[in-house]
Amino acid sequence: MRRSSAFVALVLLCGPGLAAQVGVSARLAGRVPPAVATAVSALVDSARTRGLPGAPLVDKALEGAVKGVPTDRILTAVRTVLEQLDASASAQRAAGSLAPGDDAIEAGAFALAAGLTPADVGAIARSADPTHPTAVALQVAGALAALGVPRAETVGLVRASIRSGQPVGDLVSLPGQVQAAMARGALPAAAAAGLERAAAHQAPQPHGQGKGRDNPHKP
Amino acid sequence: MIQGDRVERTVEPSDGAVVRAVLTGDVEQYAVLVRRYKDRYARYASRMLGSVDAAEDAVQDALIRAYDRLAQCREPENFAGWFFLILRNRCFAERRRDRRSDGLDQARELTAPEVSHAALERAEQVRSLEQALLQLTPEQREVFLLKHVEELSYDEIAARVSTGVPALKMRMHRAYDRLRELLGETR
Amino acid sequence: MSQEFDPRERQTLGEREASDLPPSLLAEVVAARRPVSLSSQVEARVMAAVRRRAASPRYSAWHWFTAPSVPPWALLAAAAVVLALVLLRPAPVGSPGAASPLAAAAGPESVYVRFILVAPNARQVALAGTFNSWDPAAAPLVRAGAEGTWTVTVALPVGQHQYSFIVDGRRWVPDPAAPAVDDGFGRRNSVVSVSAAQGRVL
Repeated sequence: MRRSSAFVALVLLCGPGLAAQVGVSARLAGRVPPAVATAVSALVDSARTRGLPGAPLVDKALEGAVKGVPTDRILTAVRTVLEQLDASASAQRAAGSLAPGDDAIEAGAFALAAGLTPADVGAIARSADPTHPTAVALQVAGALAALGVPRAETVGLVRASIRSGQPVGDLVSLPGQVQAAMARGALPAAAAAGLERAAAHQAPQPHGQGKGRDNPHKP
Repeated sequence: MIQGDRVERTVEPSDGAVVRAVLTGDVEQYAVLVRRYKDRYARYASRMLGSVDAAEDAVQDALIRAYDRLAQCREPENFAGWFFLILRNRCFAERRRDRRSDGLDQARELTAPEVSHAALERAEQVRSLEQALLQLTPEQREVFLLKHVEELSYDEIAARVSTGVPALKMRMHRAYDRLRELLGETR
Repeated sequence: MSQEFDPRERQTLGEREASDLPPSLLAEVVAARRPVSLSSQVEARVMAAVRRRAASPRYSAWHWFTAPSVPPWALLAAAAVVLALVLLRPAPVGSPGAASPLAAAAGPESVYVRFILVAPNARQVALAGTFNSWDPAAAPLVRAGAEGTWTVTVALPVGQHQYSFIVDGRRWVPDPAAPAVDDGFGRRNSVVSVSAAQGRVL
């Protein structure tokens, strides 16, 4: 009781930055060893300074604690997540996105964890458009890679789907379609290649013309 | 299923959301629709069919059929109206089945004068409105039930059963005449 | 609509309309309005039939990943919704500091997802993941009747999540029916992806 009211007082005095930090401590309290909580809070602080989301770090720490993993391995894994977030954000900035959102950064980190490279993340970010946002494209790419689709086919399929100008729902359904093909006996690479060919047969939109068409917010 | 129950109280999904969830594979969510609608039209079904047992069979069959055809529900937010039509068809089919097994004229669906003729023969058995209603054609019984038991307006009835208001009023007119016929001697 | 009666009858109808229900029937009609409740067995029987259909070869196990019968309106709706998917930061359960103002303003956007594990020899099974802060007590599975099948349905925020099953409190078992990623601890986590329009898409 006393601890939480102290937190509240801190929040009121020090504003949202500390509030977020307080949120991290609240999530970790009692669930990870104190040494881990301290180290992870510092890493979250560092992440925020670099414009990266902190929640994935906390998630990974909680996961490690529940899985009974030793402290040093937890911290290694948390640092790996931070590196993936950093690499994801850098790749997207290099691809021309000035301020990638938390969702896009996390999705890129997931794609990296699934086996894609920063160059792949950048290529996908470059092909994104208003109706096929970067975060969605990277989530789909990560999911394809997690299914076993090799890097080249993953990037090729995602880019072909976006280029074809089809609604974003088609992009979102790609991992499910690959899974279905695999259930019928296809290898992941072949399944993805087949879907890429199908997408490529769609009339490609002239540059700039298809971008706003499916956007429900445009008149 | 503690987690599921706790969440249902705080996140109450619309019919449309539940339909979509079921269609994309979460079959257990269909129970939400079953709970919501199993009693909604139970009164209508029991008066149409003459017993609660028959209504239970009809509602059960209709809910299963609605699941089988869920992908054809074009307006998931109006699952209620779509389900009502499935149940309605089931009730009408049941009455046709009963007629066949009743030993009355089975070659085609009976029209009012023939039923009235048979009903007059059994006039002494007709003691109540409920029994009299069962002597009407399904269409006449339905308009009577929807207007006076479910208390819908003619416009609302017309929207549900896709029939024009003048035709509904005509059916009601005939229903009143026959009810008077069936119940007149006992009143 | 074709005329079913001639104009002379129309006037008679009008009069009848004014008097509405014959008064002699009023008492019985009012009695007929009492609500009717069906037995609780209806739900059990319907769901049993529904589960049998879902388990049959026609509805193959992969149906619920691919949803080939998802009607076109659901895919079209996804375009608008997936924009929302990106704009909304789903609030992880139990982390008040992590939700963005946008997510709070738009309200919870969650979809029910059912998880299944076949583990005939298990004594207990739980589901833990990023959506419940990896809390093994948050989502226990229950036996679903048939031959060692365990199941739980949870409401997941729209977006992508990682998870795993925990068997008998100590064995971490990834979902055999879902794709997996390295968890950084020498094991694999399963991945689930949820959109508001299409439900579970991965």
